[in-house]
Amino acid sequence: MTGRIRKREQDPDITRRSRLLLYVAFGAFALLLGRLYWLQVVESDRYRNLAENNRLRLRTVRAPRGLILDRKGRPIAETQGSFDLVCSPVDVTDLEAEIGLLAEIVEFDVDDNEVLDKIRSAQRSNPYSSITVARDLRFEQVSVIEFNRENLPGFSVLVGAKRSYPYGTAFAHVLGYVGEASPEEMDQSEDGSLAMGDQIGKYGLERLMDNVLRGVNGGRKVEVDAAGRDQRLVEEVPSRAGGAVHTSLDADLQVTAQEVLGNRAGAVIALAPRTGEVLAFYSGPAFDPNVFARGIRKADWQALHSDPRKPMQNKGLQGTYAPGSTVKPFLAMAALEEKMQEKGKLVHCPGSYRLGNRVFRCWREKGHGAVDMYRALVQSCDVYFYTLGLKLGPDRVAKLEKDAGLGTITGIDLPGERKGLVPDTEWKRRVSKERWQDYESVILGIGQGAVHLTPLEMAVGYAALATGGEVMRPRVVSKAIGKDGKVRTFSPEMLRKLPWDPENVEFIRKALAGVVNDYGTGGGAKLPGIVVGGKTGTAQVASVKGKMIKSEDLPYEIRDHAWFVAFAPVDDPQIVVAAMVEHGGHGGSAAAPIVKAVMQEYFRTLTVGPERKGGA
Amino acid sequence: MTLPSKWARMDWPLLLIALALCAIGLLNVYSGTRVHGVPGTALVTKQLAWILLGVAAFFAVYFLSDGFIEGSANAFFLAVLLLLVVVLLAGKVRGGAQRWIALGAFNFQPSEFAKIAVTLALARYFSGKYRYGGIGLRETLPAIGMVLAPFLLVALQPDLGSAGVFLFILAGMAVVACVRWKVLAVFGATGAAAIPVLWFFMKGYQRQRVLTFMNPELDPLGAGYHVIQSKIAVGSGGIIGKGYLQGTQGSLRFLPEQHTDFAFAVFSEEWGFLGSFLLLALFLLLVYRLFFLTIRSQDRFASFACGGIAVFFLTHIVINLAMVCGLFPVVGIPLPFVSYGGSSMLTGMMALGAAANLSRSRFTFQGGGGKGREIAS
Repeated sequence: MTGRIRKREQDPDITRRSRLLLYVAFGAFALLLGRLYWLQVVESDRYRNLAENNRLRLRTVRAPRGLILDRKGRPIAETQGSFDLVCSPVDVTDLEAEIGLLAEIVEFDVDDNEVLDKIRSAQRSNPYSSITVARDLRFEQVSVIEFNRENLPGFSVLVGAKRSYPYGTAFAHVLGYVGEASPEEMDQSEDGSLAMGDQIGKYGLERLMDNVLRGVNGGRKVEVDAAGRDQRLVEEVPSRAGGAVHTSLDADLQVTAQEVLGNRAGAVIALAPRTGEVLAFYSGPAFDPNVFARGIRKADWQALHSDPRKPMQNKGLQGTYAPGSTVKPFLAMAALEEKMQEKGKLVHCPGSYRLGNRVFRCWREKGHGAVDMYRALVQSCDVYFYTLGLKLGPDRVAKLEKDAGLGTITGIDLPGERKGLVPDTEWKRRVSKERWQDYESVILGIGQGAVHLTPLEMAVGYAALATGGEVMRPRVVSKAIGKDGKVRTFSPEMLRKLPWDPENVEFIRKALAGVVNDYGTGGGAKLPGIVVGGKTGTAQVASVKGKMIKSEDLPYEIRDHAWFVAFAPVDDPQIVVAAMVEHGGHGGSAAAPIVKAVMQEYFRTLTVGPERKGGA
Repeated sequence: MTLPSKWARMDWPLLLIALALCAIGLLNVYSGTRVHGVPGTALVTKQLAWILLGVAAFFAVYFLSDGFIEGSANAFFLAVLLLLVVVLLAGKVRGGAQRWIALGAFNFQPSEFAKIAVTLALARYFSGKYRYGGIGLRETLPAIGMVLAPFLLVALQPDLGSAGVFLFILAGMAVVACVRWKVLAVFGATGAAAIPVLWFFMKGYQRQRVLTFMNPELDPLGAGYHVIQSKIAVGSGGIIGKGYLQGTQGSLRFLPEQHTDFAFAVFSEEWGFLGSFLLLALFLLLVYRLFFLTIRSQDRFASFACGGIAVFFLTHIVINLAMVCGLFPVVGIPLPFVSYGGSSMLTGMMALGAAANLSRSRFTFQGGGGKGREIAS
C-alpha cells in the first residue's frame, strides 16, 4: 500500500457535498468569531462594568446616633443594640407563607399588608437590598424565628441599633422622636448623606439637633455571589458616630414634674431665671418616643392624633390659655413703673365691681374689704385689679407684659413654639375695627378676655420679675459636641434688660412671697426653710351664669385651668417653676403643689446631690 | 487487518485535537467549579477519569474489526431505541426531565449514545440507497422515519435540544449522501412549516426560553438570567481575558451550569478573545479533519458515517457557543470535550473512534472499513 490511491468508488458528488458542508462550518465559525469580537472587543467595557456591578455591593454601615444628656451627664436619649428582623427580598421563596408565619411570632413595624407591599416592590426594584420589618425583638421571639429557620429563607435576625429613651415618656416633648427618613427628606439632605432606612429626628431636640446627633454612615464594599451572600470584604469606610448634645435639663426634676402632674393634662416648666436654662419641661399627656423609634403603626399614630387631650401637642409652648390671676403682678408692676397707683392706696372690695350695667364678681363673694396693693396680690383680690386694669388701660399693661416676654416668641431652642396674645387697642382695631371697650380693660385686670399665653411665656415673664427685669432666652441645649469633636457651647443670652426700679421689683417679690407665706392663695407651695414667691391663677374657660359653682363640680371640658407660677428663694431666685393644669380647677389647690414638689426636688438635689447616678 | 497495521493507519491528528480540547476542558472545569476559597478538585478528578475512560472507549471502537461497525449499526440502533423507551418509563428525573439511566454509581444519558447510533444507522441506510444522480424522495422517507423515532422519544423526555441535534444530523447526512436538492428543499419547507406546530407542542418553560432568547430583558432574574449572565461573562473577558482562575462570573455563581453547558463562558471570561479564538480554531480543526476523512474514505458507509460524525460535532459546537454568546436559545447541549460530563465525553470519544476506524478505508484500494470488501495489497 503505497501513496495516495485515487478514489475510485467515491463519487465526486460526495466530495462536492462534503466541501459544501465544510464551507457551512467555516461560515458558522466566522459568525461566532464575529459575535465574540463584538462582545469581547467592541462591547467589552460595558460588560466589564456589568460584571463589576454583579459582584460588588456597597453595604451601608449605619452610624450610631449620638447621646443627649441631662445637666448631670445622664443619658436621656441613647442608642442601643436591638434584634431586628430583616428581609432579603431575593431569598424569599413564598412571601405570603413566610409573612403569615412571622405575623404569629412578631409584631411588624407597620401593618401586615404594608410589609407585603414593601417587600414586593423591593423584589422588583432592588432584590438584593435588605428591609427591616420588625425592630427590637424579644429573646423568645428570636429563638422561635431561629427554630423556624427553614421555613423563613428570606428573613434573618440581625443586630441593629435602636434609639432608646431611658426615661420613657418623661422627656417626650423635649426630645421628640426619630423615624425613618422619608423619600422627600432623603432628597433634601444636602449631600445625599441619608441612606434608605436611616433614622432622622422628626420632632423636638432630635429634629433640632439632628445634624449634630446623626453620624456619618460608613460603607463596606463587598464581593457577593449570585445569591447576594457576602464573600469577601473589598474595601471598608468606617462609620462615624453622631455627636453629643448636652442639655440643661435635670432628669430628677423632669421625672418629679411628670409624677406630680400625673395623668392630668398640662405643662410644668422649670427655668433658671438668671441664665434662661430650662431645668424641666414636661407636657402631659405625653407619648412614648421608644414606640416611635421602633416604627409606629398607623393605628397607634392615629390614636395619638385623635386623642382629645392631644398627647402630641407640647402644651408648654404650643398650648395657649387664659392666664387668670397670674397676670396680676404684671399689672401691679405696670402701675408702679408708670406711677399710676401708689402701693399704699386702698381699694374697697365689697365682693363685686360694677361698670355701667355690668357686674364683675370677686372670687371671694363676701369681699376683701379695703385692700392695698400688697394685700390685693396676696389675697388675689379681683376687684382691686378690675379697677387697676381700667385705670391702666390695655396699652400700658400690654407694653410691660410684652417686655417681660408674655405674648411673644421666647426663642427657646425647641421647634414648634407658638406665641400667645396680649391684647391692646391697636390689636383690637386690627382684628375687629371696633373701639376698645372699658369692660375689656376691667377683665384684663384678672387675666381674662382676649389674653391667652403659653406656660413657657409665663415662666419667662416670672423669671423677669425674679431677676428684676432680665429677660433671658430660654435654652435647653447647653453644649453640642460635633462628630468632628468640635465643641459648641451655648452661653446664656439676655434678650433685654428692663429698666425697672429695683424698689418696685423688691415690692413685687415681697408680695409674691406673701402669696405663699402670708396666708395668701398660694399656701400650697410653701416650703420649709426656703422662701417661695409665686402667684396662683384660676382661668375661666366658660362663663357660668348665676350662682358661683365650685369648679370641681363642673364637667371636665368647662372646668377652669389651674395655674401656679413661682420662684425661689425670693431673696436670690435660682429657679422659676410654671405649672398649668388644663381644667384642673383652682390654681392654689391643683397647681401650687406641683410647683412645690418640683422646687423641693430642686433644693433637695442641690444639697444632697442627684439621686440617680449615671451618665457618660 | 492485523493489529500493527491498525496502529499504522491510526488517525493521530483526530485524537490529538480531542486530547488538547480535553486538557483545556479539564483546566476549565477546575476554574468553573471552584467556589471562592474552595478549589474544585472533586469534579476535576472525575473529569480526568472520564477522559481516560473516553480514550479507552476511543481505542475500543477503533480496534473493532473492519466491517464490524457497519454490520452492527442496525442492531446498535435498535438497542439504543429500546434504552430510550426504558429511560422514558424508568429514568431518573433531573431538572424536570427524564434523561438519565442509573447503573449503580454510573448515570448515563442514552440520548447521547442515540446520536451516534442514528448517525451509523443512517450512514448504513444511505450507503445502501446511494446512486448516481442522487437519492430520491421515496428512498429518503424511511431515513426520516428512522430519525423521527429517537427524535420523538428524546423530545418526550423532554429534551428538545438533543432532539434537535438528530434533525441536524439527518439534514447534514442527507446533504453528504447526495439526496437530491429538490427533495431537500421539499423537506426543508415542510420542516419550516412544522415550526408553528412544534410551538403548539412545546411546554411552557420551553416557550419561555424561546421568548426570553428573543428578548432576555423580559425576565432578567428568571429565564433571561442565564443569557444575560453568560453574555456578561464573555464580554467582560475582553481581548486578553481576566486570567486563569480570575473570573468572577463563574466562581461567584452568577453563571448557571458553569462547568457543563456554560463552560465556554467561564473559559472566555478568563482567556478573553484570544483564548476563544484559539479554542474555536481547535474546534474548526476537528471538524475540518472529520470532513477531510469524509472525503478521503474509500467506502460509502465510512464516508457517510464520518460526514454524520462531523455534523454531530459541528452541531454541538455551534449551538453551544451560539447559546453562550446569546445567539441561540438556552438548550441543554454540551460543548464536546470541554464541558464536564461523562456521557458527552464517552459519546464524543466513541464517535471519533468510529471515524478513525472507518477512515482506515482510505488506505485501501477499495474499501477497508467496508464489509467484506477488503482486498489485500
